[in-house]
Amino acid sequence: MITVDRISKDYRTRTGPRRVLDDVSFTLDKGERLGVLGRNGAGKSTLIRLVSGAERPTAGRITRGMSVSWPLAFGGAFQAQLTGVDNVRFISRLYAQDPEANLAFIEEFAELGQYLREPVMTYSSGMRARLAFAISMIIEFDCFLIDEIASVGDARFHERCNYELFDKRGDRAMMIISHDPGYLRDHCNRFAVLDAGRLTAFDDFETAHDHFLTQMRVGEPVRAVAQPFSRRMAAIDSLRRVAYEDEHFMALVRQADAARDRHDWVAAEKGYAAALSLHPYERSYWVQLGHVAREQGRLVRAEIAYRTACAFGEPARLLAPFIAAVEQPGGAGASVPAAVPDGGETRRQPPGYPDLAVLAALAGRGERLADDAALALLRQTNAMEDVLAGMLDGPDALSPGRPLPESIAVVPGDAPLRRQWSEDLARLAGARQEEFHAALARGDEPFWALRQAGGFEGWALPVPDRMEATGA
Amino acid sequence: MASAAQPSLIANLKVQRRVLAALLVRELLTRYGRHNIGFLWLFVEPMMFTLGVTALWTATKSTHGSSLPIVAFALTGYSSVLLWRNMPGRCIGALEANLSLMYHRNIRALDIYIARIMIEFSGATISFFTLSLVFILSGWLEPPEDFLTIAGGWMMIAWFGAVLAITLGALSHEYELVDKFWHPMSYLLFPLSGAAFLVSALPPFAREFVLYIPVVHGVEMIREGFFGSKVEAIYDPGYVLTCSLVLSVTALILVRWVERRLTPQ
Repeated sequence: MITVDRISKDYRTRTGPRRVLDDVSFTLDKGERLGVLGRNGAGKSTLIRLVSGAERPTAGRITRGMSVSWPLAFGGAFQAQLTGVDNVRFISRLYAQDPEANLAFIEEFAELGQYLREPVMTYSSGMRARLAFAISMIIEFDCFLIDEIASVGDARFHERCNYELFDKRGDRAMMIISHDPGYLRDHCNRFAVLDAGRLTAFDDFETAHDHFLTQMRVGEPVRAVAQPFSRRMAAIDSLRRVAYEDEHFMALVRQADAARDRHDWVAAEKGYAAALSLHPYERSYWVQLGHVAREQGRLVRAEIAYRTACAFGEPARLLAPFIAAVEQPGGAGASVPAAVPDGGETRRQPPGYPDLAVLAALAGRGERLADDAALALLRQTNAMEDVLAGMLDGPDALSPGRPLPESIAVVPGDAPLRRQWSEDLARLAGARQEEFHAALARGDEPFWALRQAGGFEGWALPVPDRMEATGA
Repeated sequence: MASAAQPSLIANLKVQRRVLAALLVRELLTRYGRHNIGFLWLFVEPMMFTLGVTALWTATKSTHGSSLPIVAFALTGYSSVLLWRNMPGRCIGALEANLSLMYHRNIRALDIYIARIMIEFSGATISFFTLSLVFILSGWLEPPEDFLTIAGGWMMIAWFGAVLAITLGALSHEYELVDKFWHPMSYLLFPLSGAAFLVSALPPFAREFVLYIPVVHGVEMIREGFFGSKVEAIYDPGYVLTCSLVLSVTALILVRWVERRLTPQ
């Protein structure tokens, strides 16, 4: 039994002490597998270091009534100048084990071949991880501490790790920390969520997971700083990276993936739509959104999603059959080919649904674009500047003094609205974001504000004369 | 942290021995590797130092104001410098290099220091012993008059050097200035440590001053053990023992203090 009794941990920083763990208590008994969910920086690794004994708590006490492993698959304890064999011998001596028997096991398990006799510093990161995991398996602990093991090595090795750990050693106590809820659900029987240093225990996975997602929602969203890109593909590439770093986004798509895998199309569509509202340019999930919409028979939405994915650079060749299937359910007529980007200037690229939504909001068409209207625009396969020119041609476009909507729908359906859409607008127009926002704050007309910030440079647009007049 | 399953003292000592043995092998392999003469460098390196200084002093006829043969003077003096000076040198920054070892609960910060001190102590001792033997057999040096006094002086220097090493090592983890100051300090202390003079050869005011430096007493003891009646050795073992005891307690307190502040990567 491990008893963690009201521990706190402070770290000294230049600006004074920072509390990383705050009054954390729990117990862990044989056969219990505690999964701790938490976002990056929640204190998960600190907690595992304290339980392992590598570090002392600032307050409180930890009592270990059984042998506790070091954080599993942790490769840092290697002396890089020494060979794999020497490192194995060191650990064996430390824990009073027979080094030669351990070496035999590790040779077979880690599959390092002759590299086992080379210095660890010559290993690739995958080889290090394999050796580290193998070494963790030679000492029989009562309790294993596991830190995101899902990331160890290739699939084949991962399978062996799972067998060694969760099958052969399934009777041990474990504490697993991860930000992947699915991993914890599969391996744990007790759950807790760590947030800003505080630990909340839950009896079942679903409640823990809901709590985790709620936390994500109240957290500050990860945002991209909109650069005045003139080439769209570069913008999309960097926005995808931002999406992958956003834990809230990743949590939503993991949840949606899980729903899709159990054929719960409604929940999956809801999840993908919510995720895409956070990061509308993560194109691969537009494909997923299309699939789950198609499964529900929502063909218009599915087609919008597929065409948007193509416009953002997903391979049109692979998506063409899906587009044809949702466009012409009977398979009768020829379908309109999807517009694809050519890597050139943004104004000449085809728009996706979020672009249409943003441009329509700018042109005064409100916060939500009708599905049919959006699909019609997508099927025209016009370039961005032609689409905007068409929208500005109307009588009520750009009426002065009308404020922009606070937030708009960037995903078809009833997904949550997106508040940061003015950043999307600045990026799309190639405008400098700060200048644009400053101009808006001064009360300038939005279109003119974009122009002043360098937006729509070179776009062929019918700008009403009165606009130029009021702006100047 | 008292718990029901508190292991006995004997079990604890066994663990301690195991940990130190494992750390020693690891340190030796890391430092000297298996290439060419491997861990023989442990004492070949200090031997080369001592031989070099002996040759230099012989060539420049630096008798340092004593009637002793230069070889004998250099051997006793420089060997003891290596003994007390290398231990702090190796212990400063030792924890940073081994922070990841803290993940093994059996290993404590003190173990890392002790392993390094043991290596330095063995290196300096084997080097001193071997060179003395070689010089005696080749006739450059008279056999020592009192072996036990030499051993006593040697151990006193070692003890002081070891606790100084742990103190500075622990402090260096919190204050990087320790590292910066130790290098000039150790060079300045070298001429003051008794390696290059006999206390009796100094004017009285200087005598009083250098005798505040604990290692001077140890060097004087070694000289008395070697040359006995030929020199007038001035030392006070009680002073060194008091200094070392006080510093030992300080060192242990500092290690506990620094251990609470460790953050392994």
